[in-house]
Amino acid sequence: MLKCQHLVEKADALVDGSPISRRERFALRLHLLMCQHCRRYVRQLRALLGFLPREEKPLDDARTEAILKKLDASRDHQSG
Amino acid sequence: MADIQLEDPHFIAKLRQGDPAAFGQLVKGHHNMLLATARTMLSPADAEEAVQDAWIAAHRAIAKFEGRSLLRTWLTRIVINQAKMMLRKRGREIQFDPTNDPDALAHRFHGDGHWQHPPQHWELSSPENLLTREELRRCMEKHLHFMPDSQRLVLELRDLQGLPADDVCNMLEISASNVRVLLHRARARLFEMVDHFQETGEC
Repeated sequence: MLKCQHLVEKADALVDGSPISRRERFALRLHLLMCQHCRRYVRQLRALLGFLPREEKPLDDARTEAILKKLDASRDHQSG
Repeated sequence: MADIQLEDPHFIAKLRQGDPAAFGQLVKGHHNMLLATARTMLSPADAEEAVQDAWIAAHRAIAKFEGRSLLRTWLTRIVINQAKMMLRKRGREIQFDPTNDPDALAHRFHGDGHWQHPPQHWELSSPENLLTREELRRCMEKHLHFMPDSQRLVLELRDLQGLPADDVCNMLEISASNVRVLLHRARARLFEMVDHFQETGEC
């Protein structure tokens, strides 16, 4: 049977949808059915990815303007 | 939300025609994400400069964007290239050799590959744990800071920006297996950190 350590090394594909062979996926699933420590590992790995500090705020208008101004300046510089 | 709009063909057509309002929307919606990527490689001040330069480069090249990759990937690649140039200027580069750093979870297993120290049960989702979650987030940021640059960068691109693994290989010019190992090492470090936090309440 698949070892726990091997499952932990391969479990990334289960949480992020990276391609793995059907055979490998089956072996991982089978191990998870029988091993509660590894089930906990995979569940908490998923939770961990949800806790990562994400930066999704849009830029405020003033700073957006400032960046666009520098674009104009660089274009004028290039053509002139 | 922003992504649906970003990859929308009508929006991309407007960008390619040089529509200033569309480019403004692009900057507004994506600057902070691109800045987060640059910050995994550079100091905050250098990251600002690299992303500003990336916008200039993107603005010049957008008419020639052919849609062979996601626009998000295209923009991120420009930022990575600017950041690499900045690193070279500082006499630095990122080492992508994953064997430099051991697997943070390896010590938790017996020689036969079974758990010796299985993970704790984490209690982080309940609403009364908001304070704990805030502490955890700070602790995570600290660990992200001390992580090897290569691991932090791959984690950012794959788990925070959600870019496809193939795109990450291409933009960093490293193999698929290196991306996989670096991502695994980064996640293992953070898993170990949260588990320790859960057990001891300390970062």
